[in-house]
Amino acid sequence: MRPLALWRHEIRRAGRAPVLGPPLLAGALVVITWADHPLRNLFVFLELGLPLTAGLGAAALAGRDPAAELQFTMPTAYRSTLMRRLAVIAAWTALVAVAISAVLLVADGWPGTRGPVAGQLTWLAPGLWLGAFGLLAGAALRIPAAASGIVAVLWLVEQLFGGAFQQHFVMKQLFLFATTQGAAPEEWAVNRLTLIGTAVVLGAGGWLLSGRSYQEESE
Amino acid sequence: MRIDIDRLTKRYRGGVTALDGLSLEVPTGMFGLLGANGAGKTTLMRILAGLLRPTGGSVRVGEHDVTTRAGRAAVRRVLGYLPQELGVYPDLSAREFLDYVALLKGIDDRTERRRRVGEVLEIVALAGDAGRKLKGYSGGMRRRVGIAQALLAGPRLLIVDEPTAGLDPEERIRFRTLLAQLAGDRTVLLSTHIVDDVAQTCRELAVLASGALVFRGTVEELTSRASDRVWSVITAGPAPTGGTIVSAVPHAAGMRYRVVAPVSPAAGAETVEPNLEDGYLALVK
Amino acid sequence: MITAARYELRMMLRKRSLWVSLGVIVVLLAAVGSQQVREVIRQDDPKGTMLSGALLVNIFLPVAYGCLLADRLVRDHRLGVAAILDATPASPVARLTGKYLGVCAAVTAPVALAYFGFAVAYAIASGRFAALGWALAAFALVLLPAVLFVGAFALAVPLVVPAPLFRVLFVGYWFWGNSITPDTMPTLAHSIVTPIGSYPMQELLGFRIRGGETIAGPVPGAALNFLRPEATPVTAWLSIGVLLVLAALALAAASVRPRR
Repeated sequence: MRPLALWRHEIRRAGRAPVLGPPLLAGALVVITWADHPLRNLFVFLELGLPLTAGLGAAALAGRDPAAELQFTMPTAYRSTLMRRLAVIAAWTALVAVAISAVLLVADGWPGTRGPVAGQLTWLAPGLWLGAFGLLAGAALRIPAAASGIVAVLWLVEQLFGGAFQQHFVMKQLFLFATTQGAAPEEWAVNRLTLIGTAVVLGAGGWLLSGRSYQEESE
Repeated sequence: MRIDIDRLTKRYRGGVTALDGLSLEVPTGMFGLLGANGAGKTTLMRILAGLLRPTGGSVRVGEHDVTTRAGRAAVRRVLGYLPQELGVYPDLSAREFLDYVALLKGIDDRTERRRRVGEVLEIVALAGDAGRKLKGYSGGMRRRVGIAQALLAGPRLLIVDEPTAGLDPEERIRFRTLLAQLAGDRTVLLSTHIVDDVAQTCRELAVLASGALVFRGTVEELTSRASDRVWSVITAGPAPTGGTIVSAVPHAAGMRYRVVAPVSPAAGAETVEPNLEDGYLALVK
Repeated sequence: MITAARYELRMMLRKRSLWVSLGVIVVLLAAVGSQQVREVIRQDDPKGTMLSGALLVNIFLPVAYGCLLADRLVRDHRLGVAAILDATPASPVARLTGKYLGVCAAVTAPVALAYFGFAVAYAIASGRFAALGWALAAFALVLLPAVLFVGAFALAVPLVVPAPLFRVLFVGYWFWGNSITPDTMPTLAHSIVTPIGSYPMQELLGFRIRGGETIAGPVPGAALNFLRPEATPVTAWLSIGVLLVLAALALAAASVRPRR
């Protein structure tokens, strides 16, 4: 177990986007919808906004480190460093999600369809999936701008073509927004578990690619 | 820690050959690596630091074969590396940056880390500015931070690529003296195109040109390459055209030129004592 | 200015990231949204097909090129190029304008390739070559203003907020400001400041969603209807003008603000 001091440094290195993004977007959403169901929209944010910030944060991890050449000469493997930064993004996303869930529960804004524990899969499954996809895209391309663009468009495609996803058996299991776009209760759990399972596969791919050497990174 | 390089080749994508069958043995102590820009020095440094993999040949650093993953990992544990272009995190202060690097180098104990960071800050004379953010540092100050991070964790192999670039004369002298002092039971590989840095600190050196070794020996041996080939010419007329002009200094009778040339470059030219720079020019020109 | 634009265009077109990311996105759209793409194609209606295609392109691709362009200006500073360029006789405003036009031209290239590729394929397959005329019109009136608008903000805003944070906020804005129906929550969609070009699409090109729904103009009961004047050709031109003025304001702010 590495010292907390190292984690403190990696919190700063994880980037401001995944840290400031969730509260800024959530705050903007609440302000915009203040007069019309802000709590309902805050719940929607759990499934839409948090996975987006996690995915974009993960996509920007690889390929933007100004001290990369130095990092690759350290006894601590650079892949471990990237994974620590990813863990920071995941932990912060989870913290914001739990805080929003608590606010919704206290303010009686939590939808009655699912309990507060199982309901955490609302953000956890798409968050893990888009985070893992972002890691994979970032590690494969090593260009944060390009990887972010791909993650953003995928998010938007799923959001706007939700109907098409729901009609196709395989795509339905991989649909990120099954909660807010009304998946049948018996299909919801399958969708969430499939997302988590495939996130593990995507994450493993990202982990493998993030272990590339400085040579591969620089060429 | 001895370095053995045997028939080392590095070809980049696109067909550029940076190192072409280089064989070199580097003993423990201070060792200079000279060469023009593009001679292959940085590529060699990066291979030794485990950043690049060679296309062919073998490289051993101590007991470790740096062409293998395990060998590179082992070298990283004893390495202090100062890259030519040091990237830093501008939002960190020098102390925070060094603390982070110390952690990455495995100095987990807080007290030990503070002590080491404090020591290296003193060595590079940055203790007074250690709390300032790196984005406000001048190029020379950043260079000193780079030197400081390389010294953390007491490296047995110190690879420094153009370490004195951007330093003022006083800093340069102080730093190269420091490097020479560090090279007791360590290997310090100093890559530079500032010949004087090597002249003042190294006993042995190698010269690279176009990815190949063109000289390996002592400073005296390289200097002697210019024996009877360094000329002093004082003239009010045009500059001498034969040979390489090393310096041109205004003189009461016109200009005094120092020229490296196999034969007298002008009427009235006198031979003078060569230095390492002359020897280097005599070798590569 | 022209030199700056030419060099920026050349540099951007050589960037692997531009082609890789937009290529991946076009493939992604074709694969994941194949059903929607098929719905866009109306065999007997070249105008409807081209305009639906333009809407599809304008909903998705700006997100990608907005993310791509986010570090173009701050990058000059990071790499130390800005200091060198500041020492040249070219005025900063001319340089910024040149850079802006260069990056806009560069992202226009793949967008044009994807869109006109689709138009040519459709025209050949259906034999309806009028599609090419509609494609040109939609490109000029809808896709190009979006490029100019997004390009300006993607260059300017990262001078104030970090590029990765800009990307997060930009994607959120794009979804909220273009794709949310106005009766759901206060949004800029259907308004004259909608960069997907609702007004010109509807009023200058006569586009209607299948079923006859409008995409521009006041929405009964919606907030921010003051930004949704009656949709007419005049307000359509006004919409294009407003987008260009906003882009110019963003660039003007960028030219006076010292780089981070």
